[in-house]
Amino acid sequence: MVEQKEMNLTEDEAALYDRQIRLWGLDAQKRLRAARVLLIGLQGLGAEIAKNIVLAGIKSLTLMDHTVVTEEDACSQFLIPRSKIGENRAEASVERTALLNPMVEVTADSSDIAEKDETFFQNFDVVCATNLIKDQLLRINSICHENKIKFFAGDVFGYHGFMFADLNEHEYAEETIKKKKESGEASAKKAKMQEEETVVSKKSMSFVRLKEALAVDWSSENMSKLLKKVPKTFFIIQVLLRFRAQYKRDPSPKSKEEDIVNLLKLRDQVLEELKISKDFVDDSFASYCFAELSPVCAIVGGVFGQEIIKAVSQKDAPHNNFFFFNGLDGSGMVDCIGNS
Amino acid sequence: MAADLGVLNDDLQEKVKSSRILVVGAGGIGCELLKNLVLTGFKDIEVIDLDTIDVSNLNRQFLFRKEHVGKSKAQVARESALKFNPDGKIKAYHDSVMSTEYDTEFFKQFDVVLNALDNRAARNHVNRMCLAADKPLVESGTAGYLGQVTVIKKGLTECYECQPKPHQKTFPGCTIRNTPSEPIHCIVWAKHLFNQLFGEADPDEDVSPDTEDPELAGDAGKQALQSEAKEDTVGGIERKSTRIWAQETGYDPMKIFNKLFRDDIHYLLSMESLWKKRRPPEPLDFDSLPNTGGSSDNMNLIHDQRIWSVQECADIFKQSVDLLKSELQKQGDAGILVWDKDEPAAMDFVTAAANIRAYIFGIPIKSRFDIKSMAGNIIPAIATTNAIIAGLLVMEALKILSGNINDCRTVYLNRHPNSRKKLLVPCMLDPPNPKCYVCSSKPEVTVKVNTTSMTVKSLEDKVIKGQFGLVAPDVELDDGKGTIIISSEEGETEENAAKPLSFFGIKNGSRIKCDDFLQEYNLNITLLHVDKLEEEKEFEVVGDVSEVQARAAEASAAAAAAATTVSSFTPSNTAPDNSASNNGQGQTEIDDEDDLEIIEDEEEEMIVETSAISRKRKADEVEEPASKKARKLNSEQVNEDDDAIVVL
Repeated sequence: MVEQKEMNLTEDEAALYDRQIRLWGLDAQKRLRAARVLLIGLQGLGAEIAKNIVLAGIKSLTLMDHTVVTEEDACSQFLIPRSKIGENRAEASVERTALLNPMVEVTADSSDIAEKDETFFQNFDVVCATNLIKDQLLRINSICHENKIKFFAGDVFGYHGFMFADLNEHEYAEETIKKKKESGEASAKKAKMQEEETVVSKKSMSFVRLKEALAVDWSSENMSKLLKKVPKTFFIIQVLLRFRAQYKRDPSPKSKEEDIVNLLKLRDQVLEELKISKDFVDDSFASYCFAELSPVCAIVGGVFGQEIIKAVSQKDAPHNNFFFFNGLDGSGMVDCIGNS
Repeated sequence: MAADLGVLNDDLQEKVKSSRILVVGAGGIGCELLKNLVLTGFKDIEVIDLDTIDVSNLNRQFLFRKEHVGKSKAQVARESALKFNPDGKIKAYHDSVMSTEYDTEFFKQFDVVLNALDNRAARNHVNRMCLAADKPLVESGTAGYLGQVTVIKKGLTECYECQPKPHQKTFPGCTIRNTPSEPIHCIVWAKHLFNQLFGEADPDEDVSPDTEDPELAGDAGKQALQSEAKEDTVGGIERKSTRIWAQETGYDPMKIFNKLFRDDIHYLLSMESLWKKRRPPEPLDFDSLPNTGGSSDNMNLIHDQRIWSVQECADIFKQSVDLLKSELQKQGDAGILVWDKDEPAAMDFVTAAANIRAYIFGIPIKSRFDIKSMAGNIIPAIATTNAIIAGLLVMEALKILSGNINDCRTVYLNRHPNSRKKLLVPCMLDPPNPKCYVCSSKPEVTVKVNTTSMTVKSLEDKVIKGQFGLVAPDVELDDGKGTIIISSEEGETEENAAKPLSFFGIKNGSRIKCDDFLQEYNLNITLLHVDKLEEEKEFEVVGDVSEVQARAAEASAAAAAAATTVSSFTPSNTAPDNSASNNGQGQTEIDDEDDLEIIEDEEEEMIVETSAISRKRKADEVEEPASKKARKLNSEQVNEDDDAIVVL
């Protein structure tokens, strides 16, 4: 995947990245600087992800979106100046994104990802997809999985958000602090005379595709027992993705009441297909899933950004394989779904 | 903007559009927070920050760019954030929130105050201002991958100071002066040396061999008396003489080197009992330095991560002394330099001096990069953590504005999900601690001091301001006459400063009343007389839980393992660069599921600073009402179920 670490950081880079090098180390920073990332979907969540990984110092970022800026972008898309309503989202975002860190190459691509084939994706180390319908997510995920490209997907709907990661077979380094006994210290005041030692261990983890995560049979004896502990947001997201596919848009504040009714119908439908009782997900979600709320984008985009950094730098255990945020109760959960 | 587009429900939408918000701090969290507020549709925001922009901020404080370095954070943040919504109104103050202009009336203008601070002194102060103005405060903090948000409302929740915070770690003077065994001891010594030579000398920061080391044979009682006498008189003269001695040599780097690293070390060697079971130090002479140290594999490191040889350390010591000497001379006779990790000569000096001393004592030599972390007390900071915490801050603020403050939570950002799968862990807010020395109705504390040796100035600086966080105190004796020993008016009580407390009749059991006009805060202190406190402490707060906990934690292997990664000390008279501590004791995780697990897995998180207070979480108390939880506060029943995060 990521090209091997190349030459040294310049003094400018060392100064700019000082505080994060103190956290994740020089090797991680070198790997970051070699990473080429494709970001699909430049709405609120996309803007947060773009900001976080450009600040961290990746090699290059391609912003891809074929849709145009609407009024609603003002809720959370801070990379687009307000004067650009009607223009292409990727192109409108490029200038402010590039200003965040002059050391990162930022380019825009206004084509539709649906028209891109396998060879296109091979130009990237990481692909990160937002604002897409489920079929596209599944298609891109398979391409990435085949090509060993790190794949991420996610969305924010009002107070709800999620991230999914398929890092395939992922190797990473993890530091643990161990104590070593100090021998024969005279001033043995307390047993505190122990020196700490940081041990770096190599580990690996397997991920599954989104297809497998969505194919879990919750009616089976094993899974139905576990169902109670699965974050409800997992199912709420499936309802919202169904809405997006069916109505070719997301729930809109302009048609709020009508959309709430349709969301509840879709909820019943989705849960029935999954053989889960309808009241497993109560009605309240439908009133809180409009537009991408800025603080929710910040939270989900923050987790997202850190997971991309982990994936690229191969440092620390990644979250396998979902993160869910529910702004109504403030919980953020990590769950491994479809990976037995 | 969400509030203009009908994204939020109607009632909240109006609240967002009309409320006034104060953002305290325009740094890592502050930049993210301003963005979120503006995009959510807040239109009336004020932001205050004392700081200017540094290049090391730019990896996360995304409202700033290279061309802004050196400018006011508050002002640049305002300009950048307004671009996200030109219809909003943001007022910026390039100022300290602790200054007297920002009085209770100022705080009363706002509907919610949002803290995005990086130091405890300012957090304490804003906490008191919000209590006095009776305004809700959302408090936040991050350290590396960890973060925390909580809500403070007078009478309803714990205040920021309801739970004692762990103290900054200090080291016994004799370890620093005579028997260092870890790099940090040498770094502390080198910073003290900087202050002795160029800065404001502090009698507690002597760098010469300590002849009163309790390890030296002799009558302990007699020594104690000597040490007291010394603090009264000799100390003052002695510290002056170090400075004068350096001046007399014309700050000759070689003479200074040979005094510190040759003659003083020979003197230490003469205290033979110290070296019976220790490796004795090896004096160095500037003219015959060993050609050792330094790492051969420097190729893949950034410049500051290289390890210097002893010769390089000596050369850089010389260069930096010369540079600092000319800096000092520019300031004239009474000039002093303030140590700053970002001042190259000051940082070089500390690196070189600490490493030379480390070499002498057989302690590993550290890179300038690592020494900067320790000496500058740098807590690493990243964009993603700040983004998450700033998002959570706004989520809590929205609940407050909706009138649902009871739905507010303390939310912790963990590094790994806990055994309930939670990466973000919401916990119930605790009710106020009835014994809190800040928010209870009659704040009272008891402090042990030596009333015959402690001066009024020490009482003011170290106890009243340093320990209890008053900013401009008036202090009155409870002697029936109302004698004022400290006045907040400049110059009024200056003649009292150097006098011991006993001069004013203060003895065992005396009470003093402290009043901070700005904070609208009164604190009664009962003083207990003791002849001597352990570990050279000047005072001790009676029943100071954090002391007890700090000690308990020190003994606990788990805590020790996790602590001091970043470590570790700050000069006692300045606010730390970043202060992190735990605000949440006895927090109870909210869980919407009814099946309770027995006990959480232990997760060892990195603990920042030296603090090792951990959140206690009893599985059988999950989602208990507040009344039941209160039991934990006064109990011994806290279990060792730590998944410790220490933030705020």
